[in-house]
Amino acid sequence: MKISYNWLKSYIPDVPEVEKLSDIFTFHICEVESLEKLLDGDVVFDIKILPNRAHDLLSHRGIAHELASLLDIKFIDPTPKYKVPESKSTNLKIDIESDKCRRYMGRILRGVKIGPSPEWAVAHLESIGQRSINNMVDAANIVMYDCGQPTHVFDLNKIQEKLIVRFAKDGEELTTLDNKNCKLTSSNLVIADAKNVLAIAGVKGGKIAEVDNDTKDIILEVANFDPTSVRKTAQMLNIFTDAKKRFENDLSPELGSYAMLEFSALILEMCPEASFEDVVDIYPQKAKQKKVSVSVNYINKRLGSNFSKEEIESVWKKLNFEYTEKNGEYEITVPFLRIDITGPYDLTEDVISILGYDRLEEKLPEIKLESKINETFAKMLLARSKLLNEGYSEVMTYVFRDKGEVGVLASASDKKFLRTNLTDGLKESLKLNQINMPLLGMKEIKIFEIGTIFKKSGEEMHVAYADKKEIKETTLSQFVSGESFSDFKLESRNHNLEAKFKMWSLFPFIARDIAVWVPENIESEEVEKIIKENAGDVVVRGPELFDEFKKEGQISYAFRLVFQSFERTLTDEEINSVMTKITNKIKENNGWQVR
Amino acid sequence: MNKENTKGREHPLSMVINEAVKIFTDLGFEVASGPELEDVWHNFDALNVPKDHPARDMQDTFYIKGQEVKVLRTHTSNVQIRFMENFAKSGKKPPFAVISVGKCFRNEATDATHEMQFYQIEGLMIGEDISMANLKGVLSHFYKKMLGEDTKLRFRPSFFPFTEPSIEFDLKYKGRWIEMGGAGMVHPKVLENCGIDSGKYQGFAFGPGLERAMVIKYVMPDIRPAYQGDLRFNQV
Repeated sequence: MKISYNWLKSYIPDVPEVEKLSDIFTFHICEVESLEKLLDGDVVFDIKILPNRAHDLLSHRGIAHELASLLDIKFIDPTPKYKVPESKSTNLKIDIESDKCRRYMGRILRGVKIGPSPEWAVAHLESIGQRSINNMVDAANIVMYDCGQPTHVFDLNKIQEKLIVRFAKDGEELTTLDNKNCKLTSSNLVIADAKNVLAIAGVKGGKIAEVDNDTKDIILEVANFDPTSVRKTAQMLNIFTDAKKRFENDLSPELGSYAMLEFSALILEMCPEASFEDVVDIYPQKAKQKKVSVSVNYINKRLGSNFSKEEIESVWKKLNFEYTEKNGEYEITVPFLRIDITGPYDLTEDVISILGYDRLEEKLPEIKLESKINETFAKMLLARSKLLNEGYSEVMTYVFRDKGEVGVLASASDKKFLRTNLTDGLKESLKLNQINMPLLGMKEIKIFEIGTIFKKSGEEMHVAYADKKEIKETTLSQFVSGESFSDFKLESRNHNLEAKFKMWSLFPFIARDIAVWVPENIESEEVEKIIKENAGDVVVRGPELFDEFKKEGQISYAFRLVFQSFERTLTDEEINSVMTKITNKIKENNGWQVR
Repeated sequence: MNKENTKGREHPLSMVINEAVKIFTDLGFEVASGPELEDVWHNFDALNVPKDHPARDMQDTFYIKGQEVKVLRTHTSNVQIRFMENFAKSGKKPPFAVISVGKCFRNEATDATHEMQFYQIEGLMIGEDISMANLKGVLSHFYKKMLGEDTKLRFRPSFFPFTEPSIEFDLKYKGRWIEMGGAGMVHPKVLENCGIDSGKYQGFAFGPGLERAMVIKYVMPDIRPAYQGDLRFNQV
C-alpha cells in the first residue's frame, strides 16, 4: 500500500525523518517495497501490509496510530475537528435481507454541488497514485485511504424508493461505473433499489445511480460486508478494487461510525451549503469486544527471552490495550480494529515486534535428538554418487513441458504440463552440451538427472542417464535395488568457500586445434607457453594438450584452443590470423614444425 | 598429458543440499520428504491457510487441471504436516526435529532471482520449550557453517498463517544484508491440526530457499541456468 509521508505527518507531526521511518517500518511493522520522492517534496512509501494486519493498517490513520504507539509520539485525533451541523430527520429506508451485510449506514445529503476538490485533497490522492475525479468521489476515496473503510455515494434522485441489501437474482445484470457489464448470480450480494441493482456490495458501484455534474442530493454509504462473500463475488466477476481488498481482509463493523463522521465532515468542507439528514444505521449484531489472556511466562517461554513485567506492560501501554493483571497473567481487552489478535501467541508477536527482534539471543537448543536419513533421500544420494563415479555429470532440467499427462490450470509460462519422463529434458541437455564440448573440455558428454516425473497415476522419482549412444531411464528404487543403504553416512564435501562462479559468454565460440612436431627432448610446456603468449585475449579455454606421440626422434603435441568473446561474435578471419601468428612463432624455433 | 577427470561433475545445488543436510543432521535433525504434487489439505488447510482467505494469495499457486484438490506444492511445509501427522499417529511424543529439502513451485514470471521451480529447505523442531531464541541459534549456526563464521543474522516482523510470531530473516555477508527467507514459531492451530498437544509443546519452523545460499556461496549472477541442463553450470 502507498503511504504519503505528508499525509502521515498530519496525524503525527513528530514523525521521524524519511530514512529513519523506513527502518522503523522494516524492523517493527512490515517490509518497505519502495520509496519515492515526489516533485512537490512529499515522499511515498510502498509498504507491504500482510493479511494479518490488513484490518487496521491498510490506511494512513492506522499506520500513523501504530507509529505513534511504537515511538511514543503525539497522535492528533481529528475526531473533535469533524463537526457536522445538526441533522434533520430522514425518510431514508434501508432493508437488509442477508446476514452477509453486517452493518449498513446511510445518510442523505441535499443540495450538494459537484465540482473540483480542494487542493489538499487532490494532493493527497495524487501522492498515492490516485486520480482526482470530483469532490464527492474524492471524499469517498480519501476516507478509504485514510481510515481503511470503503464507502460509496449514490445519486438520491436516481434511486427508486429505498435501498435493499440482498443477493442478486440469477441472471440479473449491472453495468459498473467503468462500463463493465456484469451478469450476476444468486451468490452475489448487491445493493439494489425497488427496481434495479445499484452496486455490487463491497466490490464496485454501478452506472444507474452514478453521481454526475447535475447531482443535487446524495446518499452516503458506509457498510460492512462478509469478507468471504466479497472475495468470492470479486473473483467470480474478475473485478479487483481497493474496496474489495479491504473487505476480503475483514474489517471491524465498529470502524463504520468513525468513517461516517469523517465522510460527512469532508463533504461539509467541500459543500458547506449542503443540508444533512440523520444517519440510518442498521447494525443487527453489534461486534463484541474480545478478551485474550497471556502471561509473562508464556511470552518468555515462547520467545526464549527474559522480559520483565514492566517491559511487557510497556507494550500494552504503547498499544493502548486495556488490561488487568493477576500474578503475572494479563487479560487484554482487544481493540475492535485488531481482529488479528485471537490468542496469547498473537500478543507475543506484538511484544517482540515492539521490543525488537534484536533483543532475542541466539541459543542452540539443549535437547538430545537422534538424526536419521530417510530412505528416499538416501537412495538419491546413493544414485548420485554411483553415477558421478561412473563419469556422469549431473544436470537439472525443467519440470514444465509443453505436453504431458498432468496439466496446470494457468501458468506464467507457455509450458503448461508436467514432465512424464526425464528423457526428453535429458535429450535437449545432451544436445546443448555436445555442442559445447570444446568449451567444457570434455571428450564425451555423459549426463544424468534425478527427479520427479508426473503421470496420471501419480508422481514418481526417476533416474535417467545418457551418453552419446543411449539414454536410460528407470525409477529411483529400481536404480538402487540391490544396494545397501542401511548404514548410509552423509559426508561433508569441504567445498572451497572462495570458489567463484564464472558466467559464460552468450556469443558463439570457435575451437581450433594445433599440432606441433618438436625434437624429442622438448617438453610440452615449452610449446604451450608460446601458444599462450600469442593467442590473444579472447581465449576462454586452453591451450589444452589432448594428444601426444613420438616418432623417429621427434614428438608431436596437439593442443586445443577455444576462442570466445563476451562482447561480440568472433569471425573466422580474426581467429585465422591468430592461428597464423602462433604458427609463425612456432616455426621460428629450430626443428619445430606445425603439422 | 592433462589428467582426465573420470568422475562426473555434480550440480552445484546438489552440493548445497548435501552440505545443508549434513549441517542439520549433525545437530540431530532427521531427514524427511514428501510429494511435489500435493493435496490442498497438506499444502494449505492444515497450515492454517483457509480456503477463500486472502492468505492463499500470498503464494502464486499452480492448480492442477481436472483435480481441484491438488496443487504443485508452494513450499516444503507440506512435509511438516505429513511428518507430524504420522508422528502423532505412531503414539510417539516430542521432542523431534525434521529437515526436508525439496522442489517447490510458484506461478510467477522468472527473472535473475526468481524461478517457477526452486528448492526450499524446511526445518521443524518441536519440544516442550523450543523457543524463538532457539530458532535464531539454529539458523545462525547453519549459515555460519554454510557460508562462514563471518555472517550475521537478523529478524524482521512478517506474517505467515502457519507461524506466530512470524519473521523474515536477513543475513549479513561480506558487509551486505541479504534477504534469506521466512520462519517463525509454529502456530498452535497447525500443531492441533496434526494431533500434537499445543498446550504442552511448542517449536519453530523455517523455510528459506536454497538457491539464495547457492548464489551467495558461489557468487552467481543468475539462478536461471540452474535448470537449463547446461554443464557449464557445474563449475565447482
